Amino acid sequence: MTGQTLIHLQDVSKRFVKGKDTITIFDHLGLSIPAGDFVAVMGPSGSGKTTLLNLLGGIDQPTEGSITFDGGRVDTLTEGQLARWRAHNVGFIFQFYNLMPTLSAARNVELPLLLTSFGRAERKRRVEAALSLVGLAERADHYPREMSGGQQQRVAIARALISDPKLLLCDEPTGDLDRTTADEILAMLRLLNQEMGKTIVMVTHDPEAAKYARRTLHLDKGRFTERELVA
Amino acid sequence: MSDLYLLWRNLFRRKLRTFLMMLAIFVAFVIYGVLGSIHYAFEHGVDSSADNRLVVVNKITFIQPLPYAYVGKIAAIKGVKNVTFANWFGGYYQDARNQIGTFAVDPESYLRIYRDDLRIDPAQREAFIHDRTSMVVGEAIATKYGWKVGDRIPINSNIFTNKADGSHTWQLTVAGIAYAARKSFNTSFIIFQYENFNESKTFGKDTIGWITLETDSAAVNETVAATIDELFANSTAETNTQSEKAFGKAFLAQLGNIALIITLVVGAAFATILMIVGNTMVMAVRERTKEIAVLKTLGFPSWRIWRQVLGESVLLSLLGGVPGLLVAGLLVTVLSKAASGAIPGLALTLPVAGLGLTFMLLLGVITGFLPAWNALRLNIVTALGRL
Amino acid sequence: MRVFNEIAVVTTICIKSIPQRFWASFSTVVAVGLVVTVLLAFLAMAAGFQQTLRGTGAKDMAILMRAGSQAELNSGVTRDQARLIEEAPGVMKDADGKPLVSPELYVIVDGVKKTAVPADGNLKKAPRSNLTLRGLGPAGIAVRPDLKIVEGRAFKPGTNELMVGRALQKDFAGLNVGNTVKLGNSNWLVVGAFELGGSVFESELWADTPEVQDLFHRQNVFQSIRARLTGPDALKTLSDYAANDPQLKLDVTTEADYYAQQASRTSDLIQKLGWPLAIAMAFGALAGALNTMYSSVAARAQEIATLRCIGFSGTSSFIGTLLESLVLALMGGIVGTLVTWVLFDGLTGSTLSGASFSQIVFTFHLTPAVALQGIILALVVGLVGGVFPAWRAARIPIVEAYGTP
Repeated sequence: MTGQTLIHLQDVSKRFVKGKDTITIFDHLGLSIPAGDFVAVMGPSGSGKTTLLNLLGGIDQPTEGSITFDGGRVDTLTEGQLARWRAHNVGFIFQFYNLMPTLSAARNVELPLLLTSFGRAERKRRVEAALSLVGLAERADHYPREMSGGQQQRVAIARALISDPKLLLCDEPTGDLDRTTADEILAMLRLLNQEMGKTIVMVTHDPEAAKYARRTLHLDKGRFTERELVA
Repeated sequence: MSDLYLLWRNLFRRKLRTFLMMLAIFVAFVIYGVLGSIHYAFEHGVDSSADNRLVVVNKITFIQPLPYAYVGKIAAIKGVKNVTFANWFGGYYQDARNQIGTFAVDPESYLRIYRDDLRIDPAQREAFIHDRTSMVVGEAIATKYGWKVGDRIPINSNIFTNKADGSHTWQLTVAGIAYAARKSFNTSFIIFQYENFNESKTFGKDTIGWITLETDSAAVNETVAATIDELFANSTAETNTQSEKAFGKAFLAQLGNIALIITLVVGAAFATILMIVGNTMVMAVRERTKEIAVLKTLGFPSWRIWRQVLGESVLLSLLGGVPGLLVAGLLVTVLSKAASGAIPGLALTLPVAGLGLTFMLLLGVITGFLPAWNALRLNIVTALGRL
Repeated sequence: MRVFNEIAVVTTICIKSIPQRFWASFSTVVAVGLVVTVLLAFLAMAAGFQQTLRGTGAKDMAILMRAGSQAELNSGVTRDQARLIEEAPGVMKDADGKPLVSPELYVIVDGVKKTAVPADGNLKKAPRSNLTLRGLGPAGIAVRPDLKIVEGRAFKPGTNELMVGRALQKDFAGLNVGNTVKLGNSNWLVVGAFELGGSVFESELWADTPEVQDLFHRQNVFQSIRARLTGPDALKTLSDYAANDPQLKLDVTTEADYYAQQASRTSDLIQKLGWPLAIAMAFGALAGALNTMYSSVAARAQEIATLRCIGFSGTSSFIGTLLESLVLALMGGIVGTLVTWVLFDGLTGSTLSGASFSQIVFTFHLTPAVALQGIILALVVGLVGGVFPAWRAARIPIVEAYGTP
């Protein structure tokens, strides 16, 4: 199912200045992710997993090097352009779901559509479709605090899908869930990858979770140590 | 769903907190509305008296009397259109605490000078002019004591003695009731015939309190005033002539600096809510740092989030302030009735309400500015703890 | 004992955490402080005004005015009446056997407040305020044994000389000893300044009666008679005497009662303005205090729950939280009191007295009783603002100790 290169990182370096010290996270890192791929990124704390996700999602910029998405440069965009780019191209799924506690499930899913010009009817149709897709159509009016962790994460997935982005970025999506629920969520991600062709990059600590991906990248001290392709 | 819905949900995220903020703002605007209206009534009541009206008083102070003969002399001066006069009676009804502004006047000329301020039925006016023991009662007093045309009322004086029986009481018939022709005119008064008064009092015969006159136009005010004061210079009763407006202002100023007191109190009330609401808004927005970061991650541009936070504090300010102004309007109406016209024109006027709305917007912008700025500058990576 | 130890621990945690929420705590203190300042400014004004008028007039001084006149300004008394009073029972006599009776003239003149003096110093153009000019009888100074001439000397009878009250001299322009003042057509020389126990008299100008009568064309007319009484029962003797003589249609009261009654009207009015304003503002401050305390409880939820977990009682959380609120409010109360003290105490104001139609100069006076009222208001705000959050603190579920992300 994998095809053309969707994301390409070339000679990417990322350094932070902390007090007097400069901390180097990446030093001339390279990475290519083809469209339709499902990559699990594993590695110990401080290996740069989260920073990698930040760079891929355009919420952080590299110190050096270039990032290309679908043939266009991302690292040269301004903050405003990046926001628009994220809205169109990337869906985010967080460990703690990060739903708006003041909004119902349906409204949470609808949130990214505020950035589009869709009319009310079209928005409603899309929200219903997205909630059905994650199996929560009947929970549309529930608030996050009235839902279990698994349900909240499914709402978060629906929110990530609503504007039909090419890329889904998942940060420990099952880190807060029990095994059974985690498996449901992971199966759903695999389905999205296989049936809808979503490119997924998932950071995880959990080797079981990584098994759902097509391949796993091991990150240590800012370098990929091995590449393992999963059939 | 729209940005306004998000804003609304955020505002009422913690209902108790928002309610308390609204209460604080509400209170401040009630205080502002009431005091502001009182201030406005004071300033405006004086400002709206006619431009070409002058008051002549004794140079020593306005409490010293003037000879009655001055009225005719002043009427003969060039530039003087109408002249009337009045004498303070120190009137009260039944109990000495029920003081009423009571003046002995010449009915015909007095009502002519105040033709644009007072409205009185022509038949009642005639009755007043012809009945020596009659009086005209201002609407506020008539309402307060329930007096009707034809009632015979004993009015007491704390200054004068009635020659007839040695008492301090004059029996007067209500010939008519005078209504304010413009809102800010005080109708808390009684006027009765000077002729009757002059003949029945035991001392101070043929003296009057002050003279009010109308000039041909405001342009000749100064010349007329100078002519009058020169005419009586070096006499036993020298005069001081000034515009009615200036006279009213000087009298108000004697009460103390009302404007300053009102400004200080309203200032303190606003400073209080500025502290409370400003601080709470910062706290409230800090609490949702993570949510703002998520919105930014989803692709919401910074300016849109900035606008939301600012909108939230402005909305909060309006939700507390507008009811505050409305209640102030209600209180002012009640107060105006209770004071029975002692502060004429006391009402929540458009300028006061308009300035109140401006203050609300300002309060909203000031209290929302810092948190909105923080939200604008919020860095997703640090806010989400993703380092 | 254990409960006290627990309360001490929780209170320490609460109080020590105040700086962590500096701005929230600070805003509460300032809000309460502003409320207390507004209240105290009004009350200090009322107290000062009351003190000035209450301090006026001795209990052993009778004031006689025409029946029903209510105020000296409205009154009129004849020379014959004054003579009758000189012979009345209950009136004290001096060493030479002369009665201590002073028929007095009371007229209104005007002057310029120092704050109203225009930049060019030209007093002719300045807005003028009403002043009392009192003409004293020959015994006028003798009937007032508490009078202190602090500068210059007393006026000489038969001359256009003035004595000026100390308060008036401070508040009004051009009234220094040696200055000439124009009243009506004639010029008057200021020859002395006096103090009289901080009373209303210190807001007056004093001169010899015949001179004032000349100026105002009021020969043989006075406004009031002052008479020193022989003792506490003498007032009754004197008023009975007046009641039995048809020529003496006079109201007889002690000077103290006369001024106390005048004082209560204005100071009542000031208090009636001050309290509702302060209470309204207190609701605003209460909203702030409740907010601060709720956020304080929320911030310490985990600590409190941990203490509960290891066996502390809910009561100690309740009291600890309440004490924090009270401490903040008390700080606000103290700040407000200090601000009032610095800004207002000793400040002179003057207003037109309704009864006398002339300016009374008074000093804002922050008495301990007034300050106490401010502190009490602050503590009420602290109590109400603390009790509900404290209730919440006492009921924090112990599982919160484990914390949630």
